[in-house]
Amino acid sequence: MSTNSLDGLAEYAQIRYLSPAECRFDLTAGGFLRLELGAESYDPVYVFRSFPLSLGDRYLSVRDDKNNEIGIIRDLAEFNLDQANLVRGELERRYFTPIIKKVHKMKEEFGYIYWEVETDRGARRFTTKGSHDCILPVGENRLMIIDVDGNRFEVTNYRELDTKSARLIETLM
Amino acid sequence: MNRLEPLPDHVAAQLAARNVALSDVIICAQTDLSHAGAFGEAWLLVTAEALYVASGDSRGEERHEAGWRRLFSRGAATKTTNTNTNGVMRWELRDLRCIPLSALGEIKVDNLNGNGVLVAEVDGKPQLICRYSNTMARKFGQFARLANKIRKGEVLTERDFADDIYLPVCPTCGLLYPDPKRRVCPKCLDKRAVFMRVLSYLPKYKKEVGLILFFMFARSGLDIFAPYLSGRIFWDDVLTEGGRYYGRIWEIILAMAAVRFLGVIMGVMHGRITAVLVPKVVFDLKTQVFAAMQRLSLGFFASKETGTLMTRVSHDANNLQFFFHDGFPYFIVMATNLVGIVVVMLSMNWWLTLLVLVPTPFIVLFVTKVFPILWNAYSRRYRRAASLNALINDTLSGIRVVKAFGKEDTERERFAYRNFRVFQTNMELGFISSKLFPTLSLVMNCGGLMVWLIGGLQASNGVMTLGTLMTFIGYLGMLYQPLEWMTHIVDWWSSCMNSAQRIFEILDAKSDVPEKPNPVRLPEIAGRIELIDVSFGYEPNKPVLEHITLDIKPGEMIGVLGYSGAGKSTLVNLISRLYDVDEGVIKIDGVDVRDAAIADLRRQIGMVPQDTYLFAGSIAENVAYAKPDATREEIIEACKVAGAHDFIIKLPNGYDTMIGHHGQNLSGGERQRLSIARAILHNPRILILDEATASVDTETERAIQEGLERLVKGRTTIAIAHRLSTLRNADRLLVIDKGKVVEMGTHEELIALQGHYYNMLQKQKQALRIRGVEVSEHELAGRVS
Repeated sequence: MSTNSLDGLAEYAQIRYLSPAECRFDLTAGGFLRLELGAESYDPVYVFRSFPLSLGDRYLSVRDDKNNEIGIIRDLAEFNLDQANLVRGELERRYFTPIIKKVHKMKEEFGYIYWEVETDRGARRFTTKGSHDCILPVGENRLMIIDVDGNRFEVTNYRELDTKSARLIETLM
Repeated sequence: MNRLEPLPDHVAAQLAARNVALSDVIICAQTDLSHAGAFGEAWLLVTAEALYVASGDSRGEERHEAGWRRLFSRGAATKTTNTNTNGVMRWELRDLRCIPLSALGEIKVDNLNGNGVLVAEVDGKPQLICRYSNTMARKFGQFARLANKIRKGEVLTERDFADDIYLPVCPTCGLLYPDPKRRVCPKCLDKRAVFMRVLSYLPKYKKEVGLILFFMFARSGLDIFAPYLSGRIFWDDVLTEGGRYYGRIWEIILAMAAVRFLGVIMGVMHGRITAVLVPKVVFDLKTQVFAAMQRLSLGFFASKETGTLMTRVSHDANNLQFFFHDGFPYFIVMATNLVGIVVVMLSMNWWLTLLVLVPTPFIVLFVTKVFPILWNAYSRRYRRAASLNALINDTLSGIRVVKAFGKEDTERERFAYRNFRVFQTNMELGFISSKLFPTLSLVMNCGGLMVWLIGGLQASNGVMTLGTLMTFIGYLGMLYQPLEWMTHIVDWWSSCMNSAQRIFEILDAKSDVPEKPNPVRLPEIAGRIELIDVSFGYEPNKPVLEHITLDIKPGEMIGVLGYSGAGKSTLVNLISRLYDVDEGVIKIDGVDVRDAAIADLRRQIGMVPQDTYLFAGSIAENVAYAKPDATREEIIEACKVAGAHDFIIKLPNGYDTMIGHHGQNLSGGERQRLSIARAILHNPRILILDEATASVDTETERAIQEGLERLVKGRTTIAIAHRLSTLRNADRLLVIDKGKVVEMGTHEELIALQGHYYNMLQKQKQALRIRGVEVSEHELAGRVS
């Protein structure tokens, strides 16, 4: 693999990277995002993460309502805070994943685990399958928990939770 | 009044106070997520005029129970999570949005990750109505569908509410069913009734069961007697001066040997009888289950995966075998031993007995609370070892790629990492067990020490004899040893009874396509098929076919066209009555198929399916599957007509070639031709070709076509095909799209229509033209004039 051929790759792929200077996001009356990109205008636009688990706010694909890609945002941090927060609002909806702050209770019964947790979105009870498939390790101590209905919960670092919560989660790992 | 989800009284009261006409509400639903993505309750209501979104604040802990599935319907099935208990207000209305339906376009759900949004079109632009967690996804899917119906002014019927809006839970305890399709709650299952039914298989074998019980109890008795003999009798009666058998050492030793020997004999006898009896019982069960499965309709099989069914027949039967063979007898022996030992001990010295029993609860507690740590470590090791094996498997099967990219070192590192993880758990496991087992034996030894101490004191005081002490010590091990096993018994019992229940479910299942008590006999079908306003769906509310009306004359060939999923195969499944229609009637020769004798229908309707299934056996046996009494000549003639004869002859073993498992591999086209030969020999009055030639190349198809042409002559034929050329001999063509008949007529008529058929023809033509082939319409349709 020479560097030359990789230079050519970008040319062929023709991905349009969106710079903060040319973009202007705002909120529609319906609660969705609108994008003004130079002279072009898109209403509504949807934002997708390329790497929802590993990179979060980097490489965001901005798409129109026909699912055509308008362009890719390399890093949301390059945008000013107001603009970035608008996009984050859209991302929050698309990748709704409450973060578990505390595990109050966890009970296994007849093949299901019943959880009672505190999340950053409020208290919640949920049910997962009793097998270990419900917990998806992402990196070293980060976990994704998926319940029977397909709701997603994240434990950012289970070792940093309080002792009781950490121990409860450890029994499943 | 309100449908989809009942509106709790306190919510209704607050809405009424804000002038919402509750009597006009047609559907309502609760969501558990606010616009900002916080958990919280809001209500959506639809009347004939407007959509209301009532958001508010919840108090108390009931608001987040939504995701805890077992609480959903504890008590009454209709009870919702936010029922007003003790008159305490749980939810306060904050904001009420009212959107007139006239302002709304299509209402849609968009299921995102972990949650979804209800969106309505307003002036062609999407408007966010509400958000909901995935727990509510089914409900809002239905909500949107029903709301759209209301918006269009349609009246909702009972059928519209037939689907479950949540995952189904047990109405008694509120537990989720482990298998949503099989609504049996493992907790509320009447295990006693199931057990009694399992036992009902035994009376056939009265003699064997009687013997088994005899040997078991006898062995138990001997087990209990042995320590008594070597303890009390040996020490007090033989070794002690003045004892009944003082000095008769040889005799007592012989007696001890005899007891042990007898015990072994009993064990062997018991083992031999169970070894015969248990497989017999399981054999009976398996035969019954298999027979029951053959009796069931296709609907039963469609709703269960084949794999699950295989598990049922083999795994569940094995589980029961284990139950009879190992578990149940062992349990009886253990239980008798325990009771017997305690009784003997009590009769010898009751308060020392109670002392011995003191550690028992601690042992049970220890095993139930602490052992799971060990089991967890074991399962962790198992999973890590599995992941290591997966990596080995992965790398070795992908070795070409690894080598091609020169990634041997990366793979080595990956392996080293996972190998290290296995090593780690192994070490951890060693640490845990090195702590656990000594602790357990310490607890057990405490009991032993107690006996030694108290018993020793008593013996030295002459309150207790030395023999009693030795007997007690002999019993100690026997007493503690089964405790660990006993702690598993609840799980084990549940799983065995669940297996038994699953087996009984199949035995008890009713066919969806029952035969009438006095069916109409159709000895010779002419072949007229009428469909009158037929609708059908595999699941409620998801119609696959809608309002199909069709009249096929005897001997006519109908070609059925349509994109995948249009409902073509479903149509022929209904005609051969593998399923029953939901609405409308299907008549063959003027007789409703539901009134006709099933055997007559099956005998005279033949099907060549797309996925040919050949059973293990010879080619001749496979061809003669539908007509086992066919002569050899008939088999050869059928194969000749199907265009199979020539390739069969070339095989080294000809018609005797074994196919199926471990047999000769046949190509797709060859298998198809055997399948057609089978249908020819079956000689049906109505022939169904379900994409019979879809998986073969055009050359082979041409060969099969000739066979088919001869086959369809004089029979009513329904042929499904993707390739238009397959249908060149059809008298009429039928185009199905999204469950409806959209076009019907001859090739020329449909061309003239310039509709679906014409478009399909154009598309296939274009596809060919790209490859540089020019074809005329007639050539493409295969119509050689």
